[in-house]
Amino acid sequence: MPVVKVLTEGIGELDLTDIAVYRQRDGYRQWERAVRELQSNEVLDITERSGLRGRGGAGFPTGKKWSFLPAGDKPRYLVCNCDEAEPGTFKDHMLLENVPHLVLEGILLGAYGIGSHHAFIYIRGEFKRGYEIFSRALEAARAAGFVGKNIFGSGYDLEVTIHRGAGAYICGEETALLNSLEGKRGEPRLKPPFPAIAGLYGMPTVVNNVETLAYLVPILRNGPEWFAAVGTERSKGYKIISISGHVRKPGNYEVALGTTVRELIEIAGGLREGRTLRAVQPGGGSSACIFEEHLDLPYDYENMSKAGSMLGSGAFVVFDDTTDFVKCAFNLVRFFAHESCGQCTPCREGGHWLETVLHRFVEGRGLPSDLAMMRRVSSTVTGLNLCALGDSIEPFLKSVLQRFPEQFEARVLREVASA
Amino acid sequence: MTQRELDFPALAARLRPQCEAIVARYEERRSALLPIVHLFQEHEGYTSREAMRFTADLLGLTPAVVESTVSFYSLFFRKPVGKYVLQVCRGLSCTINGAENIMAYFREKLGIGHLQTTEDGLFSYEEVECLASCDRATCMQVNLEFMYDLTPQAIDDMIAAMRAGTFSVAPMVQSDAPEKTWSVKQDLQVARGEKAAGARGVASPNNPGGLGDSSGLIMLDRFVLRDDAPSMRARSNERLVQDAKLVAEAIEE
Repeated sequence: MPVVKVLTEGIGELDLTDIAVYRQRDGYRQWERAVRELQSNEVLDITERSGLRGRGGAGFPTGKKWSFLPAGDKPRYLVCNCDEAEPGTFKDHMLLENVPHLVLEGILLGAYGIGSHHAFIYIRGEFKRGYEIFSRALEAARAAGFVGKNIFGSGYDLEVTIHRGAGAYICGEETALLNSLEGKRGEPRLKPPFPAIAGLYGMPTVVNNVETLAYLVPILRNGPEWFAAVGTERSKGYKIISISGHVRKPGNYEVALGTTVRELIEIAGGLREGRTLRAVQPGGGSSACIFEEHLDLPYDYENMSKAGSMLGSGAFVVFDDTTDFVKCAFNLVRFFAHESCGQCTPCREGGHWLETVLHRFVEGRGLPSDLAMMRRVSSTVTGLNLCALGDSIEPFLKSVLQRFPEQFEARVLREVASA
Repeated sequence: MTQRELDFPALAARLRPQCEAIVARYEERRSALLPIVHLFQEHEGYTSREAMRFTADLLGLTPAVVESTVSFYSLFFRKPVGKYVLQVCRGLSCTINGAENIMAYFREKLGIGHLQTTEDGLFSYEEVECLASCDRATCMQVNLEFMYDLTPQAIDDMIAAMRAGTFSVAPMVQSDAPEKTWSVKQDLQVARGEKAAGARGVASPNNPGGLGDSSGLIMLDRFVLRDDAPSMRARSNERLVQDAKLVAEAIEE
């Protein structure tokens, strides 16, 4: 069976929010080992050799990201990104609520790997329960001496601060997150400089996803070769896939990267009785759809990108033949228009007008010329913005416009169509 | 949670040590802005002007800077909200699993629309973006606690429990003072039974200006058409036909 339990081990069976239970299962052993026996750069080296890539969406190699930090005495920061809000993704707060100590140990290891003495975790405002659970976990770890001054008597200090967001998808973008952490509006910054050079408070900063950091614990425990041995050539290791939509058993499933799209659908219980597959959105709201012809592709970074989409955060939404793709496109475009911070004109205006036009289609009042216009506008909003939000508007819309033009044509105003 | 304190200076004096502790967690004072606003909202039920002014003074910012920042975030309510803030997910996975029906049921049941509060100050209702619980679609949050797998029956039970005061989720801190509570004027025609209680209300805690959905019928029917304006619809359709003809002629020429 391709479902594995690495990060998800023990969830649903044990109360891993209890530090005693977590420690019985070798919890914080890797943290102790790192501080006592390893140098910072050894942790970085292990991470780099494991082939771990960012699990938050961009898929950037984690070790490489760390290695961009300039040498020097400037304070440096690790920020754990738990502002999970990509439509279809629901893995990070599952980890936060069920295995907070694993997440914390990952943060500690990551901070140690870059030689930071102050780490932050940015938790989406809606995750009140996760915030409370993680706060208790942090206090327990502090009381046990795993966080704070002179950890394990090594002289190494590391503080962890929890920062709650307050309802803004864009704060998942790393520079917007840093602004929000600095008490500002969550507006993305102009890059370069990248956070590795000038991030939080203008200092070298690394922003990593919750799942990425959590994987550091099993990687240190089992060695980088263990992680690099699974997966495909450029997509190593395991990944939690959030499968939802028209499947019988939606949920988080941890698998080796490279499991095929068809297998993933089967893992989630398959389609409902008598239904056929129309499309899969394999990487969250920002990704283009893939279709039947892609069912046997391995689900990994390179193959999803070859299929014209992306793996993103591992949000895997399945659509069967009951799906109204016009409504779906409207739904996602409205999402991005709503969440646009408004700094860049193409994203702010383009998203808004596409939403307006798509609303016309939802109501059955589209114009024949709208179809070409939507294609033109959606490509115009792409690639011209400070961050990737504007670029996220086009992929889904474009892919369903191309694949299911009849659904859109059927919503063109009848009198106009015959005129 | 406790009853909202109407005496702001007393509240501020009581929370000041906690605020200072928050400031101490960060390298720069301004980083404490969001946590301090969260703290006041937890005590007041919303983010009051006094709280924003206090935060500004504490962090060495102007009140305008604080309000600008606060206004960026949808979970900071700048007006009082109901005891129970019902936030129903309108994300894609919920939508393809029937969220539209759930939202329609809520609007019907509560008699209010997106971003509105009931007259009795008990419920605020909002349709929000993906809540990251797509495996349990359709989902929602009540005062930031998750509720999953919604059905009309579950909604009935939930609302009945809230009205009876037996619901398990802690209420948002909320003033019972009517002059402070932002409420909905009863439509006279509704009161006389001449008209069904539609979803009518005043602007929202999150959306104090701009184009909202005052009808509550369609969440984002921002522009031309409303169901109560059939003549307008016909006119605009005619115009669309006219425009299309002109375009077609122009192309032929």
